[in-house]
Amino acid sequence: MSAGVRVQAWLEAASDRLSPLVVKEARQVVRSREFVFSFLASLVAGLLIAFVGATDALAGSSTAGQWTFNVLLGCLALLGLAVVPLAAFTTLRQERVEQTLELITLTSLSSRRIIVGKLLAQSVKLLTLFAAVAPFLTMSFLLGGIDLTTIAIGLVAVYMASLWAGAFCLFLSTLFRSRAASGLAFSMFGLFVLLVLFLGFNIIRMVSLGFFPGIFGLGIGIGSATGPSILKVLLVAATFWTISLVNLVLLAENRLSLATEDSVTPLRVGFFVQFALMAGWSILWWATTARIGIFDTLGTFGLVHLAAVAVFTLTEEMRVPRRVLVRQRVLYGSRLLGTLFGPGAGRAAIYLLMQMAILVIVCVLFSAAPFNWHRVLASLGYVCFFTGVPVLAFWSWAPAKVTPMRLRVAILVTVAATMVLPDVVYHLIAQPETLDLRFSTRHLINPFRTFAEWDVAEGSGWTVVPAFIGVTGLAAYIQIIVLGVVTAPKAVALPARAESPEGAAGRGDVLD
Amino acid sequence: MSDVVLEIDGLVRTFGDVHAVQDVSFSVGRGQVLGFIGPNGAGKTTTMRIIATLDSPDAGDVRVGPYSVVDNPAGARQLVGFMPDYAGVYSNTTVEEYLDFFARAHDLRGDARRKAVAHIIEFMSIGDLRDRQVESLSKGLKQRVALGRAIIHDPEVLILDEPAANLDPRARIEFRTLIRELAADGKTILLSSHILTEMSEMCDAVTVIEKGRVLATGSVTDVLELVRKRRQLSVRAAGPLSLVERTLIEQPGVTNVHEAGDRLQFDFDGGDAEQVQLVGRLVAAGLPILEFRAHSADLEDLFIEITEGRMQ
Repeated sequence: MSAGVRVQAWLEAASDRLSPLVVKEARQVVRSREFVFSFLASLVAGLLIAFVGATDALAGSSTAGQWTFNVLLGCLALLGLAVVPLAAFTTLRQERVEQTLELITLTSLSSRRIIVGKLLAQSVKLLTLFAAVAPFLTMSFLLGGIDLTTIAIGLVAVYMASLWAGAFCLFLSTLFRSRAASGLAFSMFGLFVLLVLFLGFNIIRMVSLGFFPGIFGLGIGIGSATGPSILKVLLVAATFWTISLVNLVLLAENRLSLATEDSVTPLRVGFFVQFALMAGWSILWWATTARIGIFDTLGTFGLVHLAAVAVFTLTEEMRVPRRVLVRQRVLYGSRLLGTLFGPGAGRAAIYLLMQMAILVIVCVLFSAAPFNWHRVLASLGYVCFFTGVPVLAFWSWAPAKVTPMRLRVAILVTVAATMVLPDVVYHLIAQPETLDLRFSTRHLINPFRTFAEWDVAEGSGWTVVPAFIGVTGLAAYIQIIVLGVVTAPKAVALPARAESPEGAAGRGDVLD
Repeated sequence: MSDVVLEIDGLVRTFGDVHAVQDVSFSVGRGQVLGFIGPNGAGKTTTMRIIATLDSPDAGDVRVGPYSVVDNPAGARQLVGFMPDYAGVYSNTTVEEYLDFFARAHDLRGDARRKAVAHIIEFMSIGDLRDRQVESLSKGLKQRVALGRAIIHDPEVLILDEPAANLDPRARIEFRTLIRELAADGKTILLSSHILTEMSEMCDAVTVIEKGRVLATGSVTDVLELVRKRRQLSVRAAGPLSLVERTLIEQPGVTNVHEAGDRLQFDFDGGDAEQVQLVGRLVAAGLPILEFRAHSADLEDLFIEITEGRMQ
């Protein structure tokens, strides 16, 4: 057997360990015009940049290696944040349009394996493009002015960002079926990438100038960028990158799953882990740096996280198919897990209240002043009110017309109305001579202004209004939990059918 | 029926106000080929998609072997091969790579995968095409590859939605032969088609569906018997047709009498014995009968009956 045949046989055997989608897409990619063009373009660009860099170094420049690397990294970022995400978006969208996704769904590949396979395929493509530029990157090191650690961190950062963008685009492509909506969504993503690139460029510049602005510039600065501190920042970034990537995959899986499959529980667990990471890192940061301000940031990020999760979970169907619950118990084997993380609006209310309680406890325990946790508590009350009340009202008055989309629109309309109506009504009734938009009691219904100007609200003794709003929201949540219990299937028995090992309820059961 | 492999029980599926499938029940035995007949929008594709686990029912269930498609779709999927009415091919992919991908997707590894692909290529007689781009194949060859894809994991049940649509006569004959071979190999096959002459040659049984409801199900002979009960007859007479028409209208079981060229055509609700009596009465009435003809019913007649709503 010749060496070539042996290598081919080894590759063939090794390919069995890869996702089928990686194998398929790798085969397709090497024949596609788009990839060949990208590969050639990166080679030509690398060659040109290296040539100019070498000329500069020969002229005596000591920083030729640094700028060569920066330009090469810029090219890679362009490929990684534009070409690869676009390919990820297109490949899944194409599968949906051509209906080949249905054919894959019929195989042993679960929705999750499909998404992960697609992502891995893009990752392989990215590695190939990186490999094309690798010799020129080595040259930038040889030209001087840059160390290997910076090169490694730069490459890993671009790779991670690109993979995240790929995962985001995969999720994006599961959202819409129509070409127009998909195009619009991807254009929005493109603008977002441009913004990120712009910000990223400025952050890199600031870092290279020795100025470290702290995480997200929100006052959690680590002062001078010492080794352990940088390591901690990288660790925080890596964990959030990982969990958000996993959650994007779970979100895409959720979009592709059939109604009878429980794709909600993993998603809820994923977002809970993301929330727990925020709280965990904040406490750890506080313990090691004694920076109290971290909890203001946790309060803000935790609120945004919980508000977004509430809009999407509390608007789920109230009645969960019994078969989904049975399958869930078969898969996870725990009733508690089902209650805390299971699907359905009633369980969502429990899930959200649990996280709100954690956020309040952490803030009460670690905040520097009561003012901070008062603000967080009040804001959570607003989240309860603006998600719970519209949802409960819809379920109470027009249950036949409830759909998740309508509930979400109802929430957004309610929030939008409270932002505009207080001023409109005031100016219509009082008709002041000048436009008066100063924060006053009428603005207490507006969650954003109240959060932003909580010092005024608390200092003026206006807290009774937010307290009333919060209690009303909490009552709405409790009522939604009750509604979920009332409408739940009466008994969730574990399967007893011998002939259906993973089966569940008896044949002919109505999906209720 | 012994050894039922596919059992559809009280299936219901609605899309908004549209009741696509309403309480559909039937079963198919091992090695049986069942034709699914009905006009466009009757609910055939919806039913097939539910069996293939691509959709879930609002009520009812489908059991594929021991597995329920609702409770254990993953188990059911292992036993089902589905060929929809679209090709579902990839660009930049050869026939062999296409089959290889689906073999991998069905968790076939190593030798098992290579053997499965080789077997399908041989069984489908597509050895010459293995390095051709699957996208560039003709419609008939694509259908052949699609069938190969559907059976790559050796499923017990095959669901074929309009498999012979748009195929030329030669491709149809070849396809029919493949179906019979698969059935002889013990595969249970459910197929829908509008080419009813082919259905009667391919199928052991048929299920007739319209507006989401099953109108008839059973062996081809049994279902055709339903049509034969309303057989269509014609009479040619030497004298004026009006005289014969008056006599015919008075006969029991005769309906829908109308002129068709030089003869009278009518529907007759009765069997062979009743038909003999009718001829006897016409002759006894002194009518100058030149010719009396019965039109033999086939699946085409059955389809017409359904689409005109005469069977409901």
